[in-house]
Amino acid sequence: MKRSAIVAGLVLAMVLFGFGVYHAAAFLKADRPMVHRPSEISAPAVPGTLYLVQAGAIYRFQHGQFTQITPESGWTQPSLSPDGHQMVAVQRHTNYSDLYLLNPSGKTIQQLTSNSSERPENNHWAFYPRFSPDGSVLFYDYDPKDPYNNFHIDLAIFASTAGSSWHSSKQWTNPNDYSGGDVTPVPLRGGALIYTKFVIDDQYKLHSQIWMQSRAGSQGVALTPPELDCLQPALSPDLKQIAMVCTRGQAQTAELDVAGFDAATSTAGPPTPLVQGELVASPAFSPDGKSIAYLGPVTPGGAYQLWTVTTSTDHQVRDLTRDLGLDSGDEE
Amino acid sequence: MELRRPVPLPRASIILAGFLIAGLIGLFTYFLPVFQTATTSTFGAGSVPNLNPVLAPKQPFTVLLLGSDDDSKFVPDRLNTQSMILVRVDPVSKQATMLSIPRDLWVPIPGQGVGKISTAYQLGGHQAAIDAVESNFKVHIDDYVWIGLNGLVKIVDQLGGVNIFVSNPVMDDFYPMDLSATGNPYDYYRVAALPGSSHLDGVHALQYVRSRHGDLRGDFARSERQQQLLLAIKAEAKRLNVADLPALANAMNGEIKTSIGLDKLRSLLAIANEFDASNIRRVVLLPPYTSEGFADGQSVVFPNWEAIRPVVQSSFP
Repeated sequence: MKRSAIVAGLVLAMVLFGFGVYHAAAFLKADRPMVHRPSEISAPAVPGTLYLVQAGAIYRFQHGQFTQITPESGWTQPSLSPDGHQMVAVQRHTNYSDLYLLNPSGKTIQQLTSNSSERPENNHWAFYPRFSPDGSVLFYDYDPKDPYNNFHIDLAIFASTAGSSWHSSKQWTNPNDYSGGDVTPVPLRGGALIYTKFVIDDQYKLHSQIWMQSRAGSQGVALTPPELDCLQPALSPDLKQIAMVCTRGQAQTAELDVAGFDAATSTAGPPTPLVQGELVASPAFSPDGKSIAYLGPVTPGGAYQLWTVTTSTDHQVRDLTRDLGLDSGDEE
Repeated sequence: MELRRPVPLPRASIILAGFLIAGLIGLFTYFLPVFQTATTSTFGAGSVPNLNPVLAPKQPFTVLLLGSDDDSKFVPDRLNTQSMILVRVDPVSKQATMLSIPRDLWVPIPGQGVGKISTAYQLGGHQAAIDAVESNFKVHIDDYVWIGLNGLVKIVDQLGGVNIFVSNPVMDDFYPMDLSATGNPYDYYRVAALPGSSHLDGVHALQYVRSRHGDLRGDFARSERQQQLLLAIKAEAKRLNVADLPALANAMNGEIKTSIGLDKLRSLLAIANEFDASNIRRVVLLPPYTSEGFADGQSVVFPNWEAIRPVVQSSFP
């Protein structure tokens, strides 16, 4: 009897050992990064207020705390009005997206566009909404249809005056055909507009350039050369600098650059790299202009986190979060 | 003659052997998906992996990567290759080259006449695709990898997504809704991949590398994006080790065909860390290497061999 009990105990121990080996092997797997909801963590405080997006929800980041202000329902690209009393954001669906006016707490005030339609190709997109500095005009991206070729879809920047009918929106930019279009408008005081334009050169190579246009429909001028491949411009509070993301012709590298800017002459100086060797996205200046917040992964291939870099000569980089999964196209 | 009683094994040895067997069963169970993949996919001989350390390859080798739309619109194993990328890896110099072959390239296909190079796989499987590339580009191919739509999606998802720099707005109003096994594969939906750095899951990564309708550069732009995705997958693969193989094997099961054995795959994982993206040359056969035209009533791409062959000879010696 005693002998049987010992044998049974040994067999049980062997089975448990087998289970242990199975789980020990699983422990050797590469770590899958943990992704938290922003509201579950805190982070070092930064000057001003940031609005970020994760999993279709908008979060406000203020005094080191994230506050979720919308549900996880396709929200993206929030942008605050100049007086801070309203926010415009995109709600994205499978075949279309619409612009909504929200209060700063995320409550919907008004649906601004109605872009859905039954047939997929009759839907429209609306992206990148931005108020003009005086709050009177809303710039945004829209995809006008080509009646002669339904494969031809290029985003163009439109402008709508506050209080006027949405259907009276004016097309501001004329994108290069089949380039994907003009995106990321940044309105200036005085009515001009900075944005990203895509061009395909005579060698069949694609380039992105920061472009400036003084009025609707005008040709505009390039602020950056095509070979730098710059996009996602952000203006400093004193309007003397532009932060942007440039790839310099590389496929999988996107650095954060800053260039001097003179709105009077519509010129920008040569971009200087602040952050290199990463896939950075969505730069935004702090209210004092001394630092730039941006998004980037901590490890190659990792989820996007919130970072800052100082604009002074030492370019100090700081990672504010390490375990979020922020949407890289969305920071205000 | 006296029969001797067998000498009984010491009890300690029996107990030790029991634990050893239990441990091996645990290990075997963990790696079972890998063994199953090795037996159900077309992995080459000797593909059932051992768990001993593997030596990193020392000799340069060339792999033909093939990608097909394999949804229910198509007869299995009668598929065109929408994507053909020739990759040469030199483990010693840490240099690699990716050459995208236009799917509509109008070339002689051995034993089949003249046609689009994408049809070679449909006519004679992976060997016909290899023969077509070898005979036209004058290169030697060591291995091939074929992957279908769901296979790519599953691999990217298994990696936890990939980081891609979306080069421009990729807009497509007629993107096929063909990943679902139950829906109508002729349905379509709209795609808008917005420019800038993005963390993409498998479905969105596939949309990015597959869309072509709204781009002036059509298949050429798609080829560039496919090369980008390979770089992104390589960056993600850096952090994998042998313990990740079962989950990957589960993702690949039935969705990938390759002549590369799992042991060789392990050795390739070992050298993935050593290749920097800046040492990977990317070649897309844009004009003047090719020109678009019509042949046999089809829109095709004509090769300019005088321009192509020097590039190929220097990159794939």
